[in-house]
Amino acid sequence: MTDFNSDKAIKAWLKQFRKHPFYDDGSIREMELHLRDHMEELVAEGVSEKIAFEQAVEEFGSIEPVAKEELWNVKPKTSLRSILHWVMLKNYFKTSTRSLFKNPLTSFINVFGLAVAIGICLLVYVFLAWDNSIDQFHTKKEEVYLATTYINRDGDLEQNGRTPRPLGALMAQDMPQVKQVCRVDDGPVIIKFRDVVFNEQLRYVDPNFLDFFTFPMAKGNKKGLEDLNSIVLSHAMGIKYFGENNPIGELVTVIFGENNKKEFTVVGVAAPFPKAHAIAFDFLVHYENLKTALPEFSDDDWGAFVSATLIQVDDINQIPQIKQSMEGYRMAQNKAQPDWSIHSFEFEKLADLHKVSGRIKNDISYDDNLEGRIGLPVIALLMLALACLNYINIAIVTASKRLKEIGVRKVIGANKRQVIVQFLLENMVTTSFAMLLGVGMGIFLFLPWFIGFTGWDLELNTMSSDFWLFITSILLATGLLSGIYPAFYISKFDTVSIFRGAQKFGKNNLVTKAFLGVQLVLACTTIAVGIVVAQNNAYQSQKQWGYQPDQLLYSALQKTKSFENLKIALEKHPSIQTVVGAKEHVGLTLDALVLSHNSIQYEVSSMSVGPNYIETLNFELVAGRSFIDKKESDKQALVLNEKAVENLQLKNPIGALLTIQNVKYEVIGVVKDFHFHNFFNTIEPMVMQLTEETKFDYIVLRTEKGSEQKALSLLKKEWLKQNPELPFYGGHQTETWGVFFEMIQKAKDFNAIIAVVAVFLAGMGLYGLVSLNVSGRTKEFSIRKTLGAGLQHLSSNILKEYVWLTTIALLVGGPMSYIVSKAYLDMLFAYPMPLDYSGILMALVVLVVVLLLVVATQVKKVFQSNPVKGLQAE
Amino acid sequence: MISKTLTAASTKPIILGILKQGSSYGYLIIKKIKELSGGKMQYSDGMLYPVLHKMEKDGWIESSWSLKNETRPRKYYEITTLGKEALHQEQSQWAQVNSVLNQIWEPKTEIQ
Repeated sequence: MTDFNSDKAIKAWLKQFRKHPFYDDGSIREMELHLRDHMEELVAEGVSEKIAFEQAVEEFGSIEPVAKEELWNVKPKTSLRSILHWVMLKNYFKTSTRSLFKNPLTSFINVFGLAVAIGICLLVYVFLAWDNSIDQFHTKKEEVYLATTYINRDGDLEQNGRTPRPLGALMAQDMPQVKQVCRVDDGPVIIKFRDVVFNEQLRYVDPNFLDFFTFPMAKGNKKGLEDLNSIVLSHAMGIKYFGENNPIGELVTVIFGENNKKEFTVVGVAAPFPKAHAIAFDFLVHYENLKTALPEFSDDDWGAFVSATLIQVDDINQIPQIKQSMEGYRMAQNKAQPDWSIHSFEFEKLADLHKVSGRIKNDISYDDNLEGRIGLPVIALLMLALACLNYINIAIVTASKRLKEIGVRKVIGANKRQVIVQFLLENMVTTSFAMLLGVGMGIFLFLPWFIGFTGWDLELNTMSSDFWLFITSILLATGLLSGIYPAFYISKFDTVSIFRGAQKFGKNNLVTKAFLGVQLVLACTTIAVGIVVAQNNAYQSQKQWGYQPDQLLYSALQKTKSFENLKIALEKHPSIQTVVGAKEHVGLTLDALVLSHNSIQYEVSSMSVGPNYIETLNFELVAGRSFIDKKESDKQALVLNEKAVENLQLKNPIGALLTIQNVKYEVIGVVKDFHFHNFFNTIEPMVMQLTEETKFDYIVLRTEKGSEQKALSLLKKEWLKQNPELPFYGGHQTETWGVFFEMIQKAKDFNAIIAVVAVFLAGMGLYGLVSLNVSGRTKEFSIRKTLGAGLQHLSSNILKEYVWLTTIALLVGGPMSYIVSKAYLDMLFAYPMPLDYSGILMALVVLVVVLLLVVATQVKKVFQSNPVKGLQAE
Repeated sequence: MISKTLTAASTKPIILGILKQGSSYGYLIIKKIKELSGGKMQYSDGMLYPVLHKMEKDGWIESSWSLKNETRPRKYYEITTLGKEALHQEQSQWAQVNSVLNQIWEPKTEIQ
């Protein structure tokens, strides 16, 4: 008895409180005092210290329930931490991985389907990130603006990136708000270094160009451009002309035209351009060299335009003020060029230029990504939606296998919220697997394929915060999107009916069927688009160009006067039928002019051609005649295309008089509309006029059928003989559209792949659903088999469930496919094929075949199964 | 013996009632309850403390450590204005329950 140490005993008792972190010293002291007070009283009544301690402890009661009550006081009830605590994350990780491996087939469908969709999303993210970063590496992108003009064209205002030549110098002189101005102009030249000779585009710039555009330099320095005899090369041009050698200090010859050449010293070579760029250059020389290139050049010529006038401002808020001060220039321009009268000026910030470039004509930037910016996110969301729908459907049906577990959880106290959270967290684990797989597929499969396919220099920066933000949002979005409905669906079931077995699950769930229906409709649409695009490709390649490009060859004359000599030499060969010349040649170059008729002005495309050009190309004359060689009056004659006749509203075009720069021209003929550009572009109004031989820039020949190749080598040989210093620039007329056919072929491949993925996802979803449905009915099928059900009976029994659904889905999907395909073709092609129902029907057939195949695999499984085992199983 | 549910339901008004008569500390409060009920309300002593802490958190009572005239420090609880209001409400609710029960159980009231 005397051995009892009350202090020690109390200390040991208090230790049980210390296990709970929310008991602070004050609270524990309070408990200790309680016990001591109680013991003191008992001891005073005459009991021993030991018994007093035991009695006080007993009356105090067990500590665990007290601590649990206390927990509710200290903890906020619904903090994220408490939820995590309650739902036991670890436990769910275990249960979800376990169920992943328990149902390997459905898990594969879920995880792989989601992964494919996530991979595609990653691809789209990389594309958008790349598109957003285009030309963002220029450090002055926020201060530099491109001057543009609005020009009134047939009632519409058209934004143009080219500006009057004197504008830049005047703005620098007149406007204190403008810190500095940089003018940019371009022109074709021939560049020669020792034996290497090529046709190139030369960029004439003010010396501050590399200050406006901070392209990284590899060799030399930016200041070098101040010298009139200096030239700066891009990285690619450095390699092209000098290989691995250092070009700094080397002399290159720039041939501007016949008897007009100049030597330049290489003073700088740019580093390879950053991958995300739209604005670039090959060769830079001082702007003043335009005076050498164009002998008639004048700085004050309001009739001439430059490729770009850029300004730098200190304060971007001064742009509106600058815009207001442009009136004087506008008037000067409109006085000098009434045909090209400017409506107003607009300034576009360099940082935004790429994105707005699509609506600006002739600007120094470009934007090919508009369709991608709209189309790719739609495709990514579509794929994600398909994968999530698969997931939802399968999750609901699989849940039927977990009904008892949910029931047990509810009985031991889980409320609705906890079941939902459990399901969502488990789902998050599954989506994390899909995420890992998807990112892997995106990086190692989709991205390399897409880069190879588009030729875009896409790059994934895994270190950027945006990337991780994207990954997290995708994870949360897919986890929630795919999990939220099944979670709520499952959580609302009544425990009692679960255990009674009265709970019917999934089988007749309308929502599941609706989801599957949506999937089928989406799949149907993508397949239809894929097929229609392929059909359209065939159609486009068969489509007539409006002239006969097959036996035509062309070569640029490159400012030489060698047309006559070439013609004489070539005409000797029997395989060459005719040789003609032109200043502009169809498919390659085009001029524009302004026509007046009934005092209304029209901007039309124009070509100046030699005699017999129309006949040689086989343009079809629908009225009047073609140009006659050496007929004096034909120098003021025009041949129009049908579109021009329509736009000018000429009822009797032949003999009509049209004014071009105050000179009257007579319409002598009308040709059927022909495709100047490829089939992406609409046919524009066009006029042709006769030009003299000295102005020819192209020589065009028609050959005997089958001897095109031979004629081309003859042409090359003749060219080399007569112009040994100049590169040959020419080829088959059919190749002028090479890029077009390449592009539509790529579009076809791309759509085919998307369609295959969509069918794959829908097929997998269907397969998952049918197989779950069948495995849930093992007993039923076993009884049916024992009673003698045959193959036909079983098939119709399984199929029956899906016939109505498929019929409805196809009834919706058919018309929708038609509408979407039509919209898609109309968006891409100016002259799409007339859409019929064959593509849509083929899509429907593909889908029905997939459905039948899926059902067939299950019928086979049921048919081959042993009914005895099936009956034992449950 | 009074049932557990009823005991639990009445704990807060009882504590408030005791503290209205003057501030007190945990051990004394529980001792008082036991005395008043003549042992008919059964508590494990420890369960009182979470209730006290909850009431404190809700602002019905306040606590302070005091060493005045004592052999050992004690944590004294006293009722706040909010607590008095709460007690008032509790009183009227219990009175209503009481009157309902009286009406049912007294034969006179039933006849009227």
